[in-house]
Amino acid sequence: MKVSVFGCELSGLVTAGALAQTGNQVLALPIGVVKVDDLKRGVLPRNEPGLDGLLQSQVEEGRLQFEGDWKKGVAHGEVLILSMPSWRLERAEEVIKTIGEQARGDVLVVNQSSFPIGTADRFEAQIKLAFAQRGLVAKVAVVAMPEFISEGSAISDFVKPDRIILGSHDPQAIQQVRDLMRPFNRVIDQFKVMSTRAAEYTKYAVNALLATRISLINELANNAEHFNIDMEEVRQGLGSDHRIGFNYLYPGCGFGGPSFAADVKNLVGTLQSKGYDADLLKAVLSNNEIQKEVLFRKAWRFFDTRLKGRKIAVWGLSFKPNTSTVENAPSLKTIEAFVEQGAIVKAYDPKAMKDFAAHWHHPEGLELVNDMYEALQDVDALLIMTEWKAFWNPDFKRMKQLMRKPVIFDGRNIYEPDRVMERGFRYFGVGRGEIV
Amino acid sequence: MGVQHSQAWMALQKHCQDGAGQQHLKTLFADAHRAEHFSIELDELFLDYSKNRITEETLSLLIALAEQQALPDWISRLLTGDVVNDTEARPALHTAARAEGEDVQGVAAEVQADIELQLQKMAKIVDKIRSGHWRGFSGKPITDVVNIGVGGSDLGPLMVTHALQTIESPVNLHFISSIDGTQTSNLLNHLNQETTLFILASKSFTTIDTLSNAETAKDWLEEKIADSQTLLSQHFLGVSTRPDLMSEWGLPEDNQLLFWDWIGGRYSMWSTIGMPIALKVGMDGFREMLQGAHLLDKHFGSAPMSQNIPVLMGLIDIWNINFLDIQAKAILPYDARLKYLPAYFEQLVMESNGKSVNRAGERVGYKTCPILWGEVGPNAQHAFYQLLHQGTQSVMCDFIAPVERDDFKTDAGTEKDHSLRYQHQLAMANCFAQSRVLMLGDAAIPESIKAKFDSPFKHYPGNQPSNTILLKTISPKTLGMLVALYEHKTFVEAVIWEINPFDQWGVELGKLIAKETHAAIKDVALSEAFDSSTQNLIKRIAK
Repeated sequence: MKVSVFGCELSGLVTAGALAQTGNQVLALPIGVVKVDDLKRGVLPRNEPGLDGLLQSQVEEGRLQFEGDWKKGVAHGEVLILSMPSWRLERAEEVIKTIGEQARGDVLVVNQSSFPIGTADRFEAQIKLAFAQRGLVAKVAVVAMPEFISEGSAISDFVKPDRIILGSHDPQAIQQVRDLMRPFNRVIDQFKVMSTRAAEYTKYAVNALLATRISLINELANNAEHFNIDMEEVRQGLGSDHRIGFNYLYPGCGFGGPSFAADVKNLVGTLQSKGYDADLLKAVLSNNEIQKEVLFRKAWRFFDTRLKGRKIAVWGLSFKPNTSTVENAPSLKTIEAFVEQGAIVKAYDPKAMKDFAAHWHHPEGLELVNDMYEALQDVDALLIMTEWKAFWNPDFKRMKQLMRKPVIFDGRNIYEPDRVMERGFRYFGVGRGEIV
Repeated sequence: MGVQHSQAWMALQKHCQDGAGQQHLKTLFADAHRAEHFSIELDELFLDYSKNRITEETLSLLIALAEQQALPDWISRLLTGDVVNDTEARPALHTAARAEGEDVQGVAAEVQADIELQLQKMAKIVDKIRSGHWRGFSGKPITDVVNIGVGGSDLGPLMVTHALQTIESPVNLHFISSIDGTQTSNLLNHLNQETTLFILASKSFTTIDTLSNAETAKDWLEEKIADSQTLLSQHFLGVSTRPDLMSEWGLPEDNQLLFWDWIGGRYSMWSTIGMPIALKVGMDGFREMLQGAHLLDKHFGSAPMSQNIPVLMGLIDIWNINFLDIQAKAILPYDARLKYLPAYFEQLVMESNGKSVNRAGERVGYKTCPILWGEVGPNAQHAFYQLLHQGTQSVMCDFIAPVERDDFKTDAGTEKDHSLRYQHQLAMANCFAQSRVLMLGDAAIPESIKAKFDSPFKHYPGNQPSNTILLKTISPKTLGMLVALYEHKTFVEAVIWEINPFDQWGVELGKLIAKETHAAIKDVALSEAFDSSTQNLIKRIAK
């Protein structure tokens, strides 16, 4: 099939690469800051495992090309895929306008982006109106196919999905998208066909539910501390209940990221602007913002509010492991909080230091170092903000020698409190370890 | 010799007796150019004073009175920091507090560095709170700030923050003033110790109202905070002229903001007392307010008297009070955001000029400050306007209104915005209609419906004088201009009356007697020397 993918951020590139790999002729068209020339030279906007190789192989096979001219994209694709960040709605409107003006026959648009509910229907109506004005008689369908990929595992999420949600009222369009996506639907039938709006809403609902689960487990963990309860024991008890399960049950220093948190924020924004209730989700979000500073608060109390001049090490900046992104990450808020109190922070992250530097706007107080142990030199405490694998079994002896005070605030509960304390550390987890 | 025996005063008396005192406003308005003649504009503030019973001659006689009383010299003495508050032997430098180093001479220039230092210290604290980096004992950002203060340490910040309510603030502001503790108790039920910060605002730092509320706040914090040092350093700020007393109370130096005895309490919102305003609108907004006031200060110091807005307003008040014998003034803002403006002006004007002894210590032989009161105009229309229209009192009114409302988008075109714009028009229509009817009385009734008003109960005498002040919008800048205008026109009147507007001895005795009475409530035996009424009352509440 001939496919054009509009949008060359993570989701668009993964979609383009995976579809090319299954034999389609794919044209990938950037819609924002990403430049065609960069893509052609192999410079990617995201540092995603496996993506580099996938794209390069498909370009070499001749099934994937990058293109800047949207008109060519409209002319090329039997299926036109919109795959953009949620805040790119305006660019999507422009793509739809181009389709309305340029298409010469039947049009099938598949929207993967998290735009407001009702966007797919509206796009369809806009293209139809443009066709009518041009006197063009042709079929138009816009199918909602929300993406559920996660940074760090984006390619496998796309090619081995839990389910593929297809939203449309048009059986023929559904059949066409089924054909396109069939290679990723091998084991059992993963297609869930529903109305366009239900498909759009499902994406938001999934993230809302997961966010609520995390915020709730965080609140339970914070309160477990008041009763001197180890939340890890509670987590085992909770997760073993088949109605609950173990996923998304880890307490920690808050969730972040460019799409997950943003989706919930957008949903709340949409609901509020229309005057609908969103009390629970608002609480989930504000809880999470407060949770992002949980390690700061522990340190604030541990040091009796006197943080001025203290040196603090931070391990992990990205919003989760295996990604270079710090957007909405707890590390941003936490490090700012320390620096604003006059503390000096030395931070290390295996991949996200460049992105962190780009998001950091304070003139002083932060040093980014290239080695996890270098960060520990003479510090009063270590904060763990991201559970990168490299942090799980460090050289504790060396750590203790380097640190001025052996104090660990663990925002991801990666250590066993008793084991770390045996080694002479003060240890404060989230719902675990010492209480302060 | 009192001013009432002076040449200029007697000339005004003669002018009044010769007919000017009997004129009806409706006849004065036979001159089609009257409004144009008797109105003046400065930047974003417009004053129409044409609905006063004055003529060109009245004004020139009033200006002659001002010259006789050396008003220009007094203005310059005020602005340069001369000792104009003679009973307390100090200058009144509220204008210096908002000069930001510009256009100041004399002592007013010398104090600029001290003022700026405190403003910068305040800016740091304000930014820290607004950015969420001022932390409570548990490490959470402060979300609620409670100003504990009374009189000048309360009214200014309360009035301005309420007036600027359409500006979104990252912190919630609350005000506690009254000594009885009900405000405190109600408020504390709704706040969380982790995220609440108190400002203790007291010029003397001995005000019992403020200190007793502060003790209650401290007790409440102690329910959650064990460490007293953390409690004081993270949950209290002090604003006072007395660093020694703030330290004694336990406030760390970093948490102390200063002002000085040469800024009167009722003139202090321009100083660090204005911190709640800065917390509400940010330090830039606060400085815009200072700049608005400074604009008026420059005008007051430089415009010729016939073009000087505070001078004109003050002199017209003198005419109304001392020659037309009008002893009441109503402050009538036509925007609910200005709800606390009447209360603010009540304090400013009556605490300044509510005096009957001149600077020489002699009893004055003429009326001074009238009774001032007010209310949001549209609400007052359903209350005391009856008295304005048909009572036996002559009352002068100040109508105050914004030309534009900034709380809806003019081009949004939604039904709600359309309705709001319509409501603003209605409010303005009411404002202009009321001042017109107060002026014209029966003459405002259209010919076609005159018959319906043929009844002794439907008679409107009119001839009530008024000013109308239009502000472009309600903003930090226009509020700064408006308040400075009233400060200066109050000073103008004080100069004519030869009284000191900057002391307030009248409020001292009651404070002293309250201490004695409090002792008697705790030990009833001590009340035996009191009058029978006070004794009885004490017995009823003593436990």
